[in-house]
Parts: sequence; C-alpha cells; structure tokens
Amino acid sequence: MNTIFEEIKDAIVDGDEDLAVELAERVIAEKADPVQAVQLGFIKGIEEVGASWISGEAFLPDVMMAADAMKAGMDVLEEVLAAGEGEGAYEDKGKIVLGTVAGDIHDIGKNIVGALLTSAGFKVYDIGIDQKPEDFVKKADEVGAKILAASSLLTTTMKSQKVLIEYLVEQNIRDQYKVIIGGGPTSAKWGEEIGADGWAETADEAVLLCKKLLG
Amino acid sequence: MLPKFDILTDEQINKIHENSMRILKEIGVEFSYDPAIEVLKKHGQRVEGHRVYFDPDFVKEMVAKAPSQFTLHARNPEHNLVCGGEDIIYMPGYGAPFIYEADGVKRDATMEDYDNFVKLAGASKYMHMTGGTVVEPTDVRDEIRHLDMAYSHIVNSDKCFMGSSSGYEYAKDTIEIAALLHGGMDVIREKPALICLINSVTPLKYDDRMLGGLMAYAETGQAMVIASLVMSGSTGPATMAGALSLQNAEVLAGITLAQCINPGTPVVYGSTSAVTDMSTGSLSIGNPENALFTSASAQFARFYGVPCRGGGGLTDSKTVDAQAGYESMMVLFAASTTGVNFVMHTAGILQYYMAMSYEKFMVDDEIAGMILRYLKGFDCESEEKMAFDVINTVGPGGHFLTQKHTRKNFKLEFYRPELSDRQSFDGWSKESLDTNQRAKIKWQEVLASYVPPALDPVVKEKIESFIEKRAKELLNK
Ligand code: B12
Repeated sequence: MNTIFEEIKDAIVDGDEDLAVELAERVIAEKADPVQAVQLGFIKGIEEVGASWISGEAFLPDVMMAADAMKAGMDVLEEVLAAGEGEGAYEDKGKIVLGTVAGDIHDIGKNIVGALLTSAGFKVYDIGIDQKPEDFVKKADEVGAKILAASSLLTTTMKSQKVLIEYLVEQNIRDQYKVIIGGGPTSAKWGEEIGADGWAETADEAVLLCKKLLG
Repeated sequence: MLPKFDILTDEQINKIHENSMRILKEIGVEFSYDPAIEVLKKHGQRVEGHRVYFDPDFVKEMVAKAPSQFTLHARNPEHNLVCGGEDIIYMPGYGAPFIYEADGVKRDATMEDYDNFVKLAGASKYMHMTGGTVVEPTDVRDEIRHLDMAYSHIVNSDKCFMGSSSGYEYAKDTIEIAALLHGGMDVIREKPALICLINSVTPLKYDDRMLGGLMAYAETGQAMVIASLVMSGSTGPATMAGALSLQNAEVLAGITLAQCINPGTPVVYGSTSAVTDMSTGSLSIGNPENALFTSASAQFARFYGVPCRGGGGLTDSKTVDAQAGYESMMVLFAASTTGVNFVMHTAGILQYYMAMSYEKFMVDDEIAGMILRYLKGFDCESEEKMAFDVINTVGPGGHFLTQKHTRKNFKLEFYRPELSDRQSFDGWSKESLDTNQRAKIKWQEVLASYVPPALDPVVKEKIESFIEKRAKELLNK
C-alpha cells in the first residue's frame, strides 16, 4: 500500500488542514489512486476520530478540526474524483445543505452538526446564519443536495423552519428534498407539526437521521 | 452585610484590563446597527465599515461617566431597589422556552406559566423583583409578547421588573407602558423604572436588535444590563484569562456606546460567561469556572465603578435533584459573596437556561434565603447580641432553651427553612417526600393563596388601552 494514504489518515486524525491539502496535491502530482486516497486516507482517518469521539476519548475540537482537514483535502481531489479517475468510483454518502434560519444567528450547534455529518461521509454545504428559504434551495440546486437541514435556536425563529417547508410546497418542489430540523427549542412534535422529514436533538442523532433518510 | 472578597490580585486585574484594551484598540468590535456606528464616529472613534477600533483612554473616560449605583423604582416605593454598592437583587430565571415538570415531562411554556412565575416572585420574601421574560410565552404571537409580558408584571406584583430589549420599537413600547404606570415619561426619566438586558454577540459583535434596544433605553435614561456570554472553548478562548479579557472588552464597548448616547445613563456590567462541554458543544453553567467568571466580573465592575450582573441558581441538570441543588448553590453563593449586585436567573432555571421548573424555583428560593442570611453575617452591635448576661445567668452546665433572650433572638438570628426537612427519620418517613415532591406541594400552596396587590383602576385602564392599540397596530403590520 502506498504510504501516502497512511500519511493522509494521520493528517486527518491530527486535524492538520495544511498537511491534508499538501498530501492531496501530492496524490494528484504522483498520480496515486484518488479513490484509495479517499477510502484508505481521508475516510479512515475521520472514522477513527469519530469512533474515539463516540467512546469519549476525543473531543469536539478533535472532530471538528478533522472534519475541516478532510473537507480541505477532499476539495483538492474533487476534480480528479469527478473525472472518474482511480479504481472504482468514489461517492459521498449524500449532499446536505445546512444553515441557520432567517432571523437567527446562533451557529455553534449548526457547526457541530456540520462537522459530524462531514465526518460521517456526507458532503455538507454550510450556508451560514440568518438564511432565507430561497438561499437553501438555491444552494441545493447548485450542488444537487437532497437534504435541507435547518437550525433554529429561538422560539421566535422556529417559524422560519415552517416557512421553509411552506416555500417548498408553494414552489411545487417539496418532494425533491428531505427537510430536517433541529436546535434547542425545537422538538419532534414541532417537526411533525410543520411536516419536516425529521428532527434530531443532538448532532450524533442528526447523523443517524441522515443515514436513515438517504439509506 | 459581609465584606465582598476578591478573587483576582491587583496584578491580575491590570493584566486582564490591559489585554481587553488591546483587543478594543487592535481588533475592534463590530456593530451592525448604523445609528450606533454614527454615534461612535461622531465621538472620534476609528471606524472601518462596521468595525470600530476604540481608543482606550476614551473608553476609560466614557465608562467613568456611568453611575456606581442607581435606584430602580417600583410602583410600590417600598420595593424600590438600589442597584450597586453592597446591595444584591434576586429575581426569577430569564428567557427559557420550556417547562420541565416535577415528573420529568417537558412542555412548551405558556402565558399562564408566565403569570405564575411572576406571582411566585411577587409572593417570595427573597425575590426582590419579578424579573423579565420569566419564560417565553410560546402561545402568544411574538409581535405582541413584549406587551403581554409587561402587563403581567404590572398586574401580578408591585415589585420592579425588566422590559423588552428586542429592537428599538418593542423597547419603546415597554418604556411607554412603564411611563403610564409611573405618571409620565418625565417621571421615569428622573427615576428609572425599567431595566433591560443587552447582550453582545460573542466574539466581539453587537447586532441590530440589541443595539436598537440599547438606544431606546439610553435615550430615555432607563437602566440596562450590558452583558457578554462567552462560551469558553467555542465562542471564546479555552483559557479563563483569555475568555475574561474578551468578555471584558465586549462589555466595555457596550457601556461606552450607552454613555456616548446619554452620559450618566445607568448601566450594569454583565457576565454570563461559562464553559462549553467539549464532548457535545453544549453550554455548561453549573460549574466552578462559571463561579469564577462571575466573581471576577463582580471585581471588574468594582474596578470600573459600576454595578455588576452575574450568576444565578444555575445548573445543567434536567430535574430537581442533587446536581441541581449543588450546582445552583455554588454559583449563587459565589455571586453573592463576591459582590454581584443584580442576579438574573436566581430561581427556576434547569438545563443551561433551556427550561424553567416550578419546583426548582422553590428550591432556589430557599437557597436565596439561606444566602441572604449568610450575607448578614454576625451582629456584634449591642450588649444583647454579645449575650454576656444570659451566659452568666445560665452559667456552667445549664441550658438556654427557657431564657427570654433565646425566645426573642432565635427568631431574629436563625434562618428558618421553608422547604428543607429537619424532621427525625420517623417524622420524615411518614410521607417520605423528597425535595422535588415537597417543592411541588409548596408552589401550589403559594400560588393558591397569593393575592396580587391592587392597581389603581385608572392607571390600569390607561395601560390596557395602550396595549390594545399597539397590539392592533403590530398585528396588522
Ligand atoms: C450561545 C448563545 C447565544 C450566543 C450565540 C453565539 C453563536 N455564535 O451561536 C449569542 C450571545 C449571540 C446569543 C444571542 C441571543 N440569544 Co442566545 N443563547 C445561547 C445559548 C446560551 C447557547 C446556544 C448554544 O450554542 N448551545 C450549544 C449548541 C451545541 O447547542 P444547540 O445549538 O442546541 O445545538 C445542538 C442541537 O440542538 C442540535 N442541532 C442544532 N441545530 C441543528 C440543526 C439540525 C438540522 C439538526 C438535525 C440538529 C441541530 O445539534 C447540536 C449539537 O448537539 C442558548 C441557551 C442554551 N443553553 O442553548 C441561548 C438561547 C438560545 N438564546 C436566547 C436568546 C433569547 C437570545 C437573544 C434573543 C438575546 C438574549 N436575550 O440572549 C439573542 C438572539 C440573537 C439572534 N437574533 O439570533 C434564548 C432563546 C429563548 C427563546 N426565545 O427561544 C436562549 C435559550 C437563552 C435564554 N434562556 O434566554 N445567544
């Protein structure tokens, strides 16, 4: 096995973004197999970090820095992967557009959800805070995402999650997306009430939810 | 009152102060609200886009304009409160969207809960005011929540309360209502009757809504808490000294702006900084770090000569259990003994501000009573208190139970718990009620027997018609 894959794995475990980018560039330059680089390097690394997070040995900075490093490295490989180079094709587990709804600027929870989804192999497009329904849909169309994930931390902005779903219905595109919601004051009941496809209380439950919805 | 103790050395204070000044000068603070940018520009601060770089001397000069203490006026003058100095003000929790019931049920908070907590605070001997946003009344449209909340404080109690700070317009409404209650805007301009909470957006930002609120309160001379909540480890550095420096910079920036708008306007230095749980990312408030941030903030407020807000009956627990008790006692005790003046969240909070609990309210009320007693300390002012004569009368080997001195003084000196159980095992085991169960019985009794103080019908009518008019306007927008 090419030792560069091992190096990539270590870079991810260390959460070393610069090194992850450098190694990804080397993969291209040395014409190593990009699919193997992903599977034996990036994914292996992130899975290792994810497992130690679940067992309580790793903490959020470990997971979030690993997710950032993975994202940066994978961005470098994007082109060669899209061109179908390498043994077999690499496909992410699914694309997700994630944002905090209009009127709300809380983003810590959203960022954690994003990092854990990334580390679980999803491709996450984080559109940031205070985002309108149009913004979610625009990004989803641009990247071909199937899940819209909306965070809200205020009872006064929860209704923006409802507005998002209403917008999809109005535009006759409700069936093209799965909508999941979360954030402190939200609940499973609220999710049902507004017709969301899922709700999760914590970031690790959000991962399970996305696996279920796309599985 | 007991002397308040310091937890930072002078050298530490200076180091952190200088660090904050350097943050203000070299990194700056972002203000999204254009009128605020205009004010700071006019006062000669360097502005780039929405980022303001403060001159440390200017900050010192403006902070010095803030009063070291002020009086908040209640509709019943007996409940007027001094904020600052040796005084301490307790009130219910703020902003929680959920109610956790005694049996573990979680539900949305309603306007009925709102009224109930205001009444419990009104009835309490230890809650000095009825607070603000005691829960989020999720069954009331948010366009008019601020009106209904103010009304609840006014009709259910005659103690001081907090007003809305959600943007200029809602803040103005609440101030109008307070003016009606107190006999005119001129009256409350002289004698502040409202106080609100202004929060920075950590790290180093203030948003439109909060700044709009700040301007409305500052313009009318009403008081405000200017607070920063650094979640050390996520919205702030993971070192205590770094997080405190960041918090301090933000609060000073806010106080500076308020003093630019209206020099001398009453402000309170606020802190709710705490730590991030590094496994889940959630805020954690029932811990020694929070107690340290709180005490350090009290000391910084003294250093700058302004009153301090911080602490509370704070816990991460989801139910009224031992964790809820020991965490809440730690943070409230630290706040109270190190010189915090204004304690939002004294009673009722569970799970890092997410929920209010009636049972927890009663537990915290008991904790508050115990601490207030502790703060009174020893009374050595009279011969009677020194008790030489009665010790002489009883002499060696006797007892004091039948002395007049005892009968009179235990009532004056001993704190009498209302919730704690001091019975024998047999006595307790007749019903075997734990604190949670006793608290449930207790709050129901208190609510059932509470009679809100009467309000002048003419004033009531004026306030009601104002609210009716505004509600129509806001709902038809
Ligand atoms: C930190 C904080 C802030 C910071 C935010 C900084 C930032 N960069 O995010 C600041 C100071 C800016 C802030 C501002 C305000 N806040 Co605030 N804030 C909080 C606080 C203390 C912690 C939030 C947090 O980050 N928690 C940690 C994260 C990890 O938890 P989380 O967000 O819930 O996320 C987890 C899950 O919910 C889930 N999840 C989250 N998003 C999603 C999305 C999906 C799709 C899924 C599946 C799952 C999921 O996974 C996450 C990880 O497990 C909460 C109280 C609390 N304990 O939650 C109040 C709180 C949310 N704030 C509140 C309020 C009122 C405000 C303000 C209006 C002013 C004020 N009085 O403080 C402003 C509003 C600003 C605005 N327009 O949005 C109230 C809300 C009450 C209500 N009405 O609902 C709360 C509950 C505090 C309180 N009791 O008053 N706040």
